[in-house]
Amino acid sequence: MAAKKKRTPNTQNDSWVVIAADSVTETQKPDCDPDFVKLRNPSTEEASLYLLGAGDAQLYEVKAFEEDFHSWFVGQTVQRDGKLLFVTQMDPLYLILPYMIKSGQEGKFQPVDQVVKDDEFPASSRLLRCTRSLTSLHHIAEEKEVGGLKFHRYSQERTMNWLQKKVERTIVALKKKNICVGEGVKSTTYVRVKSESDDREDTEDYLRYAHGLISEYISEELSKALLKHLGLPELKSPKETEPPSKKRKLSDKPVEAGEDYTKFNSADFARKPPKKMTAAQKTLAKVDKSGMKPMSSFFSPKTKAEKK
Amino acid sequence: MSCNASVTCLHLSSLKGAEKAPVHLMPCEIEHTGHAQVSQYFTATTKENKKDKTVSFRGRGLKGQEISCPQGHTGLVLKEVDRHGSDQEDRKVKVTSVFDKLTYWNLETPPTSDDIVVMAMDWPELAEAIHGTIED
Amino acid sequence: MFEERCFEPRMSASPPPVQVVAVIYSKIQNRSGKAAVEVKRRATQPPSEQSAAMDLKQFEADNSGSFRLASRIPDVCRTEDCCLGVDEAGRGPVLGPMVYGICFCPVSKKEELKDLKVADSKTLNEAERENLFQKLDEAQSYVGWALQILSPNMISTSMLQRTKYNLNALSHDTAIGLIQYALDSGVQLKEVYVDTVGPAEKYEEKLSQRFPGIQVTVRPKADSLFPVVSAASICAKVARDRVVKGWNFAEDLGEIDADYGSGYPNDPKTKEWLLKYLDPVFGYPQFVRFSWSTAQTLMDSKAVPVHWDDDEEDGEKAAQRQNNRSMLSYFSASAEGDRAQQTHRFFSERRLKSLKSL
Repeated sequence: MAAKKKRTPNTQNDSWVVIAADSVTETQKPDCDPDFVKLRNPSTEEASLYLLGAGDAQLYEVKAFEEDFHSWFVGQTVQRDGKLLFVTQMDPLYLILPYMIKSGQEGKFQPVDQVVKDDEFPASSRLLRCTRSLTSLHHIAEEKEVGGLKFHRYSQERTMNWLQKKVERTIVALKKKNICVGEGVKSTTYVRVKSESDDREDTEDYLRYAHGLISEYISEELSKALLKHLGLPELKSPKETEPPSKKRKLSDKPVEAGEDYTKFNSADFARKPPKKMTAAQKTLAKVDKSGMKPMSSFFSPKTKAEKK
Repeated sequence: MSCNASVTCLHLSSLKGAEKAPVHLMPCEIEHTGHAQVSQYFTATTKENKKDKTVSFRGRGLKGQEISCPQGHTGLVLKEVDRHGSDQEDRKVKVTSVFDKLTYWNLETPPTSDDIVVMAMDWPELAEAIHGTIED
Repeated sequence: MFEERCFEPRMSASPPPVQVVAVIYSKIQNRSGKAAVEVKRRATQPPSEQSAAMDLKQFEADNSGSFRLASRIPDVCRTEDCCLGVDEAGRGPVLGPMVYGICFCPVSKKEELKDLKVADSKTLNEAERENLFQKLDEAQSYVGWALQILSPNMISTSMLQRTKYNLNALSHDTAIGLIQYALDSGVQLKEVYVDTVGPAEKYEEKLSQRFPGIQVTVRPKADSLFPVVSAASICAKVARDRVVKGWNFAEDLGEIDADYGSGYPNDPKTKEWLLKYLDPVFGYPQFVRFSWSTAQTLMDSKAVPVHWDDDEEDGEKAAQRQNNRSMLSYFSASAEGDRAQQTHRFFSERRLKSLKSL
């Protein structure tokens, strides 16, 4: 019997199977072909692929579904590359946010077109042409108008409120789609203090899950700040509480591990650690805290989670 | 200038000439890109049962299911035109086929809603929640 | 040439005993030594012209699976002690189905069956077999038969299954299924004679345990020793010949050259046909047993490579690699550079990831 052939690398792929939002192809104007562009991913800070459509009025995210050992039949052809690309609408504010935060460190109101600039990613400035960008900047920044010109300054308070709404909307969608959010990492304290009720546990599961999803679009510091804002204790060391397979959420990483000093030193992305959240804490006060322990209790030694 | 500057333009004018094509996601890697007698060998031998579809490929039993593109989304097959190979230059892709449903095939296991590709179809709707406009 | 694919023992699949292989080997050589049966285009012979009642239409409508075909059960077989023979046809060929047959009659009618001269079926040509099947059909007042047609597609997909189902296991299960069918139909079985597949003693023991109260005899060349096995062999062979001759290609390939010879891999006509009908992507029509090394070797050299997640070369190593990677990632939480890989489980569970470029 002949030996099974080794796989050769697929280097010459020049076609892609895509599922795209209808609006990508529904264009009225003839000269408005969409462009795949590279922009700085707000979570990884590295290049990711996006699509700008309808004359830059719309931003889309590109995600690839990819399993090993897959290929396509398309009509009367084989396409070796088995990826399926999803091109879905994206909120440009997530991409604008890191630039706002960076400029916000100077504490000044600035014209946004001077803020959203990135030599490494020239397409970044096109983000401001998205219909939603300028109309929604107030979600993450304070606005000032002087002599017909608009100036903006990053606001953590506004950003937290905006992100919280994102989390809430995501929870609704998760429930609607019946997506399993359980089995995640849980803070034992949170559940225990409250009650025996499953609802409470459920609520935390959903909250953490949605927070994790939103965290895919924001920096790690912001993700932590959002966690606090949502009234969720940070999970200190998931390694000790859960088997490895269950602790893949980036929000669950130990605090010490979160700090990459090279990143903080980079000129492009230097940023201060988040400010003390005086404003956010006001919002926090509105959150139902009846089931929560004081912060100090989270740092006391934990007992192992008792799984039902 | 870095390669991050290059853009790939999607030529929408090609959409007019793009035909609807049957699309199958196969549970194996086929080291070939190009023509194949899909309808003669594959479609012609596919059996439709109540619950799923069955066929065989290279002597291996497959079970499959047809799924629709998520609402508000269309299937496109893109192909690069005039490939240069340099990642500095701008590139062009055209639409060669369109589809509104696809059939995915499992090696031997019956299709279920737990199949990863079915779960992946959750993404567009969830993306809408994550990226939809927040009202004031 | 031994045509059954040799499989490395893997996981749950038990390795076929060495002796089994040797027996099949000799059987195949015996049969393939014969002159090739001339085969004409499909369906040149309408069923009505066929000599005796064996309605294969239903199988021909879907020849991708396993199909049972049986005669009426003679009343006398329900009241008198019966003997039953089991044999198979088309085990070795790379083309077409394998057919398992049983034939049964009252023990008291053994001599009459012998008088039909069904013995020594291997020496018969196709016409003679058809003739003998006609005689068996005429003896339907005391002779019954049943067949299980295992399509080449079913053989391929079974033998190439994730959990390999080898030809011996498939054969045993089919034989057992047919004997059980006779019992379920009320045939008063007392004696069962089986042409051997694998070591006779072991198989005899297996069948005796499975059918307590029935005297089971498993012998090599049982088809030349016991007329009831010869009769089963004739039924099976006639069915295989007819199915092969009238093969209904489900593929949409237009006119197909039906000059494929005996279907045995060492038949030059069969080889030639296999070369002519090799498709670079799909390999072969379902008429071909993909699990045969002849087909595999031709595809390996002339068709495009296809890789599955359970391939020995690719899959297991790939799976291992993936495991290693994910295990590693659990312990490297401190490597901030990995942040991109530690995507939320919504995405990792759905194999969704960001792209760096198109």
